Amino acid sequence: MAKKSFKGRPLLPGNLEGKALVSKQAFNTSASYLENMFAGRTDSAPCTDSANKDLYKKDLSGAILCTTQTVGSTMGAGCIMGMNDLGVGLKAMLFSSHIDSIAAAGLYMDDIWNDRRIITVDLLGDEFLEAVKTGDPISIKEDGTVEVG
Amino acid sequence: MAQAQGAATGKAGAKDLPGYAENFLTTDMDGVGPDGKPTGQKATFSGASKADAKAGQAVQNQMALTQEEQDILNGKEGKEKARLMKILVAYGNAFGAEKLVDLGGAPHSNMYVGTDYMGSMIKMFDECAKAGLKAYAPYTVNPRPYDLYNVNNNPGDMELIYDGYKLQRDLDWVHVRLGAPDLNLRSCACYLDEVGNAPKPGTYVAWAESSAVNFGNSALGLRTNRNGAGMDLLSAILGKAPLFGLMTDEGRKAKWLVEIKTSKEPDWGAVGTGIGTKVVEDVPFITGIEKYFEGGKVTADNLHLLKAMGSATAASGAVGLYHVEGVTPDAKEKGRDLLVEGYQTYVIDDAEQERIIKTFPNLWPEKDGDPTAVFIGCPHNSYFEIIKYGRLITEALDKAGKEKAAIPIYMFCVNKVRDRVIEEEGELASKMKRAGVHVTNMCAVSYAGMKGFSERVRGITNSAKTRNYSTIRYFPDDILVKAIVTGKIPKGA
Repeated sequence: MAKKSFKGRPLLPGNLEGKALVSKQAFNTSASYLENMFAGRTDSAPCTDSANKDLYKKDLSGAILCTTQTVGSTMGAGCIMGMNDLGVGLKAMLFSSHIDSIAAAGLYMDDIWNDRRIITVDLLGDEFLEAVKTGDPISIKEDGTVEVG
Repeated sequence: MAQAQGAATGKAGAKDLPGYAENFLTTDMDGVGPDGKPTGQKATFSGASKADAKAGQAVQNQMALTQEEQDILNGKEGKEKARLMKILVAYGNAFGAEKLVDLGGAPHSNMYVGTDYMGSMIKMFDECAKAGLKAYAPYTVNPRPYDLYNVNNNPGDMELIYDGYKLQRDLDWVHVRLGAPDLNLRSCACYLDEVGNAPKPGTYVAWAESSAVNFGNSALGLRTNRNGAGMDLLSAILGKAPLFGLMTDEGRKAKWLVEIKTSKEPDWGAVGTGIGTKVVEDVPFITGIEKYFEGGKVTADNLHLLKAMGSATAASGAVGLYHVEGVTPDAKEKGRDLLVEGYQTYVIDDAEQERIIKTFPNLWPEKDGDPTAVFIGCPHNSYFEIIKYGRLITEALDKAGKEKAAIPIYMFCVNKVRDRVIEEEGELASKMKRAGVHVTNMCAVSYAGMKGFSERVRGITNSAKTRNYSTIRYFPDDILVKAIVTGKIPKGA
């Protein structure tokens, strides 16, 4: 496939290459990590949000997650930090929309307080989410450029 | 839930998923509509819509800091404060804040659940407490998620609680040291007289708890964004918050004119649900209800109307501020000038109110069963409400020649309100207790989120917020009282 390039806002910049994991709908943070939050799982992070047809049962551990924004419990910030504690956090979060306040809180707290970075880019635009598919090669640059393909 | 449990089965590294986790699937807005399809919402949940934001412009947001703030950032007041300041500045820049502002009044925190996964955040604030940091003023906190004395005093509930809330003690101890030592003040309705956290109009605060933010911004005229768990305490320790969204004149302008045209007093919870669903996180300017607030005043005897409506707007949508014509401080001062050019209009008449109520699904597993418990007080009841419902219930029982209600009634309120009821209306309090009223200071939504709740309890409530987050069914007061007396829902209700 031809490479497509998108320019977003690098909130927590970094360079990373990998494969995309895509959720066309908003990512419900707390609903997605039930096994890790409550059942002691630390070897992987199968998405437990059955309302999310794109991600349900897929492993979130170490993923480059491409989605619109996060939703769900206001405890979601604690959840982001908690998953990094368990070693099953995401590697990157790529948002097509503006970052929401819950994700921003968790991502910044963990980055600055615990020195654990999840590379974060927002405002990539609806076209980004229309173009990217799960499994696509994806390359993130420090300046917020994201290349798909 | 069956699906979620299935995901755990047979996978190495995981035990069975405990059932109390199930309701974490449905908290706040979940991004899918009643049809299960994505809604495509673009809410930041901060109370500041950024639907039109563009990367090129947003990337340039950099707040100007004062020398004092820069010094904190540089570590002059210790490494913990420096890191907190770094987080706050980054957060503010992400949302296009102009600068940091000094906070006044007192903070309110919604960090109230000591579950394992909150451990990292609890540890962060524990380190702050160990470093001797404190909130800029004594603060209030949401109710605890359980009550081992009045509600969960049975082995089954206790097992779930001790297993599910292992860090509750640690969290409580963090709050005690940071400036919230009195558990008798734990309430989501921190603005009640008995709790006393009701700063003056125009005061900048950084509250969390959707219903408190909603009431504080609207009825009290405070200036706060909707903060998630953690940002509330972080801002409280620094005594500062980034200025954007609902804290600014521009962000407090209304994009919606909501005209309430019901022929009788509106169903406040239903109206709130309709507004939240319609405007999501925009600010509505509401007309047609000023007659329920004599002299345009919000008092201890009528604030429950705004509490019911507002909390429903915050639960069904993400409304952090609304204006009521002739009643709320901003609306009194600026009137319809608060409406932006090109605002949209939403009319709620009898038909629309009925339509909204019809969207409330019956989620009981046994749909035609009789109710088994009543839940009143989400957000926490005011003194006026406890007395009102106490009288309604006991008088209805008297009329029916009964002393005891057919089903248990849980009334949620802060301990200080309970104490006042006992002191000032002792006879009524005794009668309520004999009738089967359990007064508790816990969080109603947390109780409804416990393992197996929906299989065990067919609950009914007059709280649109409780309904939004649980399987508990919503009914108006008169139906609720009839069900309390008879143990049955009247036909056609």
